[in-house]
Amino acid sequence: MDTTYILGVFNGEEELLAAFRKMKEEKIEIEDVFMPFPVHEVLEKQGKKSRITVVGWFYGFFSALAVLGFLFYTAVIDWPLNYGGKPSNAFPSFLVVTIVLTIFSITILSLFTFSVRAGLWPGNEKPVFHPKATDDRFVILLDKTKVDAERAVAIMKEKGASEITEKQNGQKP
Amino acid sequence: MYNTEIRGPLILGNKSLGQITTEITSPLYARPKFWWLVGLGISSAMMLLGFWAIYVTVANGIGTWGVNNTVGWGWAIINFVWWIGIGHAGTAFSIFLLILRQEWRSSINRAAEAMTVVAVGCAAIFPALHMGRIWDAFFILPYPNTRGPLWVNYNSPLFWDFIAISAYLLISASFWYLGMIPDFATIRDHAKSKVRRAVYGWLAMGWRGSVGEWKRYEGLSYILGGIAAVLVVSVHSIVSTDFAVSVEPGWHTTIFPPYFVVGAIFSGFAMVMTLMILLRRIYKLEDFVTDRHLQNVAKILIFISLIMGTAYLTEIFVAWYSGNEYEIFTFFHNRITGEYTVQFWIMFVCNAIIPQLMWFKKIRSNILVLFIISILINIGMWFERFNIVVTSLAKDYLPSAWASYSPTFVEIAVYLGTLGIFIFGVLLFFKYIPMIAISEVKAVNKYQVGSRRSRV
Repeated sequence: MDTTYILGVFNGEEELLAAFRKMKEEKIEIEDVFMPFPVHEVLEKQGKKSRITVVGWFYGFFSALAVLGFLFYTAVIDWPLNYGGKPSNAFPSFLVVTIVLTIFSITILSLFTFSVRAGLWPGNEKPVFHPKATDDRFVILLDKTKVDAERAVAIMKEKGASEITEKQNGQKP
Repeated sequence: MYNTEIRGPLILGNKSLGQITTEITSPLYARPKFWWLVGLGISSAMMLLGFWAIYVTVANGIGTWGVNNTVGWGWAIINFVWWIGIGHAGTAFSIFLLILRQEWRSSINRAAEAMTVVAVGCAAIFPALHMGRIWDAFFILPYPNTRGPLWVNYNSPLFWDFIAISAYLLISASFWYLGMIPDFATIRDHAKSKVRRAVYGWLAMGWRGSVGEWKRYEGLSYILGGIAAVLVVSVHSIVSTDFAVSVEPGWHTTIFPPYFVVGAIFSGFAMVMTLMILLRRIYKLEDFVTDRHLQNVAKILIFISLIMGTAYLTEIFVAWYSGNEYEIFTFFHNRITGEYTVQFWIMFVCNAIIPQLMWFKKIRSNILVLFIISILINIGMWFERFNIVVTSLAKDYLPSAWASYSPTFVEIAVYLGTLGIFIFGVLLFFKYIPMIAISEVKAVNKYQVGSRRSRV
C-alpha cells in the first residue's frame, strides 16, 4: 500500500531539535528521524526504549549457566580424567573458560538480535528517503495520513527547515 | 567534574558536517598513490615469502625451525604474544577511552580497531603453525571424541588460549564492523559509480540512520564495549598463564597476568601512534588527528613505560628476595648479565628508559621523535617476549639440558610474512574504508577538549 510521506530536511542539529521539540509539544506523530550521528534527545523522546541491553544481560546469564553446566557435566560427571590427582571439579579453570565463552556467546547472540531488530543484514536494502541524511542533513519523516500536514509543515518552516518535500513509498520505513 | 579553561576544539578547522565527510572519504575516491602501490607490492612479496615458509613448515614439520628439546618455544611464540599485544590497542582505544569519557579517541579508534583485527589474525597463525600437525587442529574442540579422553583438558591454558583468541577475534571484528556501518551508508549514498554503490550498499546492510537503528546501534555498542573490556584484560592474562602456570624459573610468577596486559596495551598504543603519524601526514588529516591527540597518546605511553619499568624491577627484586638460586640465576646471570644480556638491555632501555624522554615537551612535540620512539617501543616489546620465552627455557634447572636457540630462515620468513599481511591489510584499509569514524567525529565536532557539555 502506497503511503505519502512528508520530509522536513534540516541543516543542523539545533534546527532539528527546535522543530522536534515543538512537534512533540503539539503531539504531532513523528514517523521517524534520520540523522548522520545519534542525537540523544531525539533518541530518548522518539519511539520506545530499546531493550537490546536487557536481552544482552539475559544472554550472558543463561550462557554462563549453560557453559558452566557443560563443563561440569563433561569433566565431573561424564568422563572425569586423572590430571595427576587434581580435583575434577576444577572451578577456577571452569571460571576462566566460562568467562570467555560467555563473552563469545553474548557477542554472537547480540549480533543476531541486533541484525533482526534493526533490520540490517548483508544485502538488505531499505528505501532511502533522503541521500544526505547519512551525510550532513537531519530529516524528520511524517506520515501524511496520520498528521495535520499544514500545521507540521508550518512548524518545520518556522524552525528553519531547508527543504520540505513529499514522497510516495510502497514500503514502510 | 571541575571546569577547566577552554583548551580548544577537538576537531580543528571549524568544519561543517559535509566537509568532514568529504575530507575523510577523499582517499577512497583518489587514484592509488605511487607509494601505496609500492607498499602493496613489497608487502605482497613478504606475504609470498611467508606462505612459502608456512608451506615448508606444514609439509616438512617443525624440524625446519630452530626449536629443540630444551628451547621448545622460539620465534613462533614470541611473535604470537607480540602480535596479540599489538592487537590490544584497538580494544583499549575503543573501550577504555570510551569508559573514561575521552572524546579525543573518536579520530583514532577506527584505525586502531582495524589494526587490532589484522594483528589478531596474524597472531592466530602462530599457535596454529607451531602445533606441527595443523590438520589435527580440531583436536582442541570440546566434542565427544573417540580418541580416549572423550573431552578436552579444561585446566590447560592452551585450551583457554584457543577460545580466548577466537572470542577476541570475533568481538574485535564485530565492534569494528558495527562502527563502520553508518560510514558505509554515507559512502553508499554519495557514490556515483554503480559498482561502488552496490559494494558499499551491501556492506552498509540497509542502514539509513533512523531512530530505531541508532538506538540499537548504541545498545549493541554498550554490550560489545562492556564485554570487550573484560575480554581485553582476560585474553592477555590467559596468554600469560601459558607461562605463569609452568614451573620454569622466570615464568612461574604471579606478576605475569597484569604485566602482560599492561605490556600489550603499551605496544598496541605505540603501534597506533606509528600508524597515526603516517596516516595524518600522508592523507593530510592533521585537523582530525591533532597534535593534541598524539601528545595524549605519548602521555599514556610515559605512564605505561613507568609501569613496565616497575614490573621489571619488581621481578628482579623478588627473584633476589626469594633467595631461590634458580630465579637468581635466571635474572642475574642469564638476563642482566650472561648470554642474553644484549637482549635484556635492549628490552629495558627501549621500554623503560627511552619513553621517559617524552616527559620533555620539546621531545613530545617533535613528531619525528615520537615516531622513532613508538617504533623503538615495539622493538623493545619484541625483545621482552624473547627474554621471557628463550632465556628461561635455555637455561633452567638441569645444566646438562642447557641449549642455545637461534631461529632458522623459515621461522624468520613466517614472521616477515605476518608483517607483510599486516602492512597489506592496513594499506587496503586506508584505501577502501574511511580510516576515521565519520559519524563519531561528526558527533563531537562541536565539542571543546575535555568537556562534554561545552560547545564552540
